[in-house]
Amino acid sequence: MFEFAFKSFQEAIYMNGHGVYVWSVVIILIFCLVCAFSYYKIKLKEYKKKLDETY
Amino acid sequence: MIKKFIHQFASPKTYLFQVNRVYKYIFYFSLLIYTFSLIWGLLFTPEDFVQGNSFRIIYLHVPASFLSQSLYAIMAIASVTYLIWRVKLAAYLIIAIAPIGAMTTFLALISGSIWGIPTWGTWWQWDARITSTLILFIMYLGLISLHNSFSNFEKADKLLSWLVIVGFINIPIIKKSVDWWSTLHQSASITLTDKPSIDPSMLYPLIGSMIGFFGLIFCLVIISSKLQIFKREKTKSWIKDYV
Amino acid sequence: MKPIRKKRLYNILFVFLFSVSGISLILYSLNSNLDYFFTPTELKNNDIPIDKRIKIGGMVLEGSVKRDASKITFIVTDYENSIEVLFNGIVPDLFQEGSGVVALGVINNDIFYAQEVLAKHDENYMPPNLNLKNDS
Repeated sequence: MFEFAFKSFQEAIYMNGHGVYVWSVVIILIFCLVCAFSYYKIKLKEYKKKLDETY
Repeated sequence: MIKKFIHQFASPKTYLFQVNRVYKYIFYFSLLIYTFSLIWGLLFTPEDFVQGNSFRIIYLHVPASFLSQSLYAIMAIASVTYLIWRVKLAAYLIIAIAPIGAMTTFLALISGSIWGIPTWGTWWQWDARITSTLILFIMYLGLISLHNSFSNFEKADKLLSWLVIVGFINIPIIKKSVDWWSTLHQSASITLTDKPSIDPSMLYPLIGSMIGFFGLIFCLVIISSKLQIFKREKTKSWIKDYV
Repeated sequence: MKPIRKKRLYNILFVFLFSVSGISLILYSLNSNLDYFFTPTELKNNDIPIDKRIKIGGMVLEGSVKRDASKITFIVTDYENSIEVLFNGIVPDLFQEGSGVVALGVINNDIFYAQEVLAKHDENYMPPNLNLKNDS
């Protein structure tokens, strides 16, 4: 079940021509997740600061 | 006892404290599971006998699509709670979830489109499943912009909850679209009633990635709802102690 | 439950039922239009104008694919009725005998002239070696 599905690292990137699709989806998804997390973290920090200043 | 627990949890203050306590554990646990399952699915599962390696997009597409529908269902539950019991926290949750739901729906559409190129030979077709998912995406965007256009939060919350309930009908339509009409999209591989039509060696990483993605999105909902609480409860005295 | 909350619950149920019935009426009246493609049986039962662009879908009959330069002909079947398809172009990688297909084009003299051919796959996922094992 845990056998490496490809012969080499290059092949894992290329995936018989499908690598382009697979890895672009991976990149888009991770990019969106990272963006979302950092957006909320930054916003949260801003709000905490604002609240700190008012009190 | 359950009633007391719910009452306590429904107060934004207790919610904030409880959620802060568990946030880190959920985050690292789901991040671990998600990365593990993705690596397992992308590199360590055999290729599919029809689709070859392009089937690996399933490990990204299915969790996103599943979450896009579940988040709307959670919004609908929160709307009912808000409209009946006037629980403020439920109203905060609705507007906290909406942008995240829009993001996951966007991810589901994008990953599906990219998956369609090597398999179907097209990136966009107006079949029932794809179109109803696009409608879900537009609904999320509409709900967000509607809430932003109000200056009175309470009015916005009420209108939003009603609209979420009316729009909930789209969720069973998305779910059943592949059975009711002929579509380009295939029917579900994993159902509650039947044996999954996906080989176990491919199924386990899929389940793992669904759990991991669910956890990560759950964490996003937590910090997004924290933001809403800060925004809306900034005049309360307990916030002062909290900060 | 307090009476006021009960009333709100009924209100919600009422509004939801209202939207459900509205949407189901719309879907019911649109029903066949929401179908993405016609099956060969539906083609037989419906009269479709010669110059109307439609989509048909079904399985590629095994042994029916003939390639000739850039032209390709095959038979689409739902195992009750079938129709011959002629296509001039490149088919997707997943296009195979015995697997699903959707074609966009026009019908003339019981031959379907396709302008676009898409592959439709099913919900089964399996490693290739396992598939061979099941066959033998």
